[in-house]
Amino acid sequence: MQVHADEATYMTPPAMRTGDGPPAGFEEAYLQFAPLLRKIAVKKFGIPMSDAEPLVHDVFATYFTNAGEVNDVGPYLVGGICNAARHHLRRVDASEAIFCGEIACVATPTESILHEVERKLLLRRLFARIGSRCRDLLHRYYLIGESTGAIAGALHFKPMTVLIHLSKCRKRALEAYHSMTEKPPT
Amino acid sequence: MYAAQPDAIAEGRRAGIEAHLAACAECQEAHDFFAIRDDDLADDLAEPDTWEPIIGSATHAALMEYGTRVADEDREAEVLLQAYLESPITTAWTTLVAKRRFRTGGVVRKLCTAAHSVYESKPRVALTFADAAISVAEALPDDLYPALAVYRLRGTAWKERANAQMILGQFPQALESLDRAERAYGKTAHNGLGLSIVALVRASVLYAQLRLDEATVMAERAERGFTHAGDEKRRMDAAFLRAGIMFEGGDANGALTVFRRIIEHGENTRSLRWIARGSYAAGNCEVDRSNFGEASLLFHRALVIFREVGPDHELLATEWGIARVMFHGGKFNEAIRRMRDVAAGFERRGMVMYAAYVGLDVAEGLLALNRTTEIVALAKHLFSVFMSVGLLTGALSAIAYLKEAASAKRLTKQDVEAIRAFLRRAERQPSLQFVRPPRAPG
Repeated sequence: MQVHADEATYMTPPAMRTGDGPPAGFEEAYLQFAPLLRKIAVKKFGIPMSDAEPLVHDVFATYFTNAGEVNDVGPYLVGGICNAARHHLRRVDASEAIFCGEIACVATPTESILHEVERKLLLRRLFARIGSRCRDLLHRYYLIGESTGAIAGALHFKPMTVLIHLSKCRKRALEAYHSMTEKPPT
Repeated sequence: MYAAQPDAIAEGRRAGIEAHLAACAECQEAHDFFAIRDDDLADDLAEPDTWEPIIGSATHAALMEYGTRVADEDREAEVLLQAYLESPITTAWTTLVAKRRFRTGGVVRKLCTAAHSVYESKPRVALTFADAAISVAEALPDDLYPALAVYRLRGTAWKERANAQMILGQFPQALESLDRAERAYGKTAHNGLGLSIVALVRASVLYAQLRLDEATVMAERAERGFTHAGDEKRRMDAAFLRAGIMFEGGDANGALTVFRRIIEHGENTRSLRWIARGSYAAGNCEVDRSNFGEASLLFHRALVIFREVGPDHELLATEWGIARVMFHGGKFNEAIRRMRDVAAGFERRGMVMYAAYVGLDVAEGLLALNRTTEIVALAKHLFSVFMSVGLLTGALSAIAYLKEAASAKRLTKQDVEAIRAFLRRAERQPSLQFVRPPRAPG
């Protein structure tokens, strides 16, 4: 007996639909896999972050367009960023990028990339447990790159107080880390 | 603070801390978390996407907006299309694309879903839905959605048209539709899955046309594409099709190797469906290789699973396989009895071509037993079954020939084989005319 074609549905799966707004599954997939896709584009293909971001966007946009057709979201997105990155680099044309003869997709994330992404996702979960003041402080210090002096000026603290708060926030992060990894606090 | 900025600590105090750390394991671990992890994580903390769930990002905002739009369109399409999907004839007579409200991706998705759900059972209805989907998809502006995603919708609509055309036996048209689908999917680098599905459907069409070499190339292409897209389920579909093509081409050994791998995959992933399908197909290969003991084991393995989880028609096919093993073992009467039951089962399900194939096996058994009168009765029955379902093609001529040759007591095993081969082709090419097999002189 012959097998033909695929089994697919093209609508957003009902289970993913919520009330208003995007289907819950879309945001979940984005938050879970976007860091991985960025890392693959940047680290495996050497694409600058500013160029990688539109690629990540387009891979997700294409996925959202026919989400019901996709059986396994993670590998699908990884394959998608691989195609997009190869195409972007113009190493091969689009079709060859997709049907590359290699055994596995060249974008198959290495262990180190997976480890980095895992760490990043852990950090994200940590942020949810350390309170808004700590998040704000860490955000200013690490992401915006404000000096302790500048933070102190903005918050009307002494620079030393900022350092103390940073230390406390990191301690809180340690506790959250232990509770998430089920490691007893020392 | 020492862990974060040791230099900020006065030298005397710093030495004290260092001494304490050396002696206190607990404090050492806390220090390590802050100091060592900080080295590891400094880069992550400085990357915007670490903070994305908290502070958001332009990409996140744009995609969630698009996701909302997709969901809204899908909801609207359900309402807009309800009446049309319930009455395909209305869809056929209505130019949906002329109505502005219908020109959305949601309508295309809904029509494609509807087409896909019936393309095997009601291919004409599927074709109607696919055509409507194409007309809407082609009317959408190229830049209506981000990432040129409209091309994915177009590709899908054309692919659904090809599916329906394949079932209707409109092979050249199906291949043209697949060309259109491929062109649409190929517009961006993000449609690898779509292109792989096109390759799979193309392999099926070429297989149905008995263009086995080309079908193999396409099935392999699909397999690679699905591997690349991480779609294990579809990769197995492609591998199964590739093995089926090998089997059809007479390479039972090569096909068996692939079917065995499929069984292994089923065992590894605990997929009963793949174990059963692989076992059934491998059983057929073993019959061809005259390994009837092994074939019996494989068929029985499939039988147990199909009995449990279905589907019924695959269960029947497996019972047919077991009867064929008996036939080859010389147990003609028992084999014929079982095959008659299987043929009746296929008939009850409206699968008349399968009933005919089994009937031909029965005829072969009866021929071996020299019970030609029963072949005449069997051929009459098959003729009436074909008539009742409106098969007025070469298939009827072939069955008429079976009856005629059996009545005249000049039916040969080669005749039965020729009829079987013809029916296999006619199943996919209903307009094919039956040509009587040449007779040896005298």
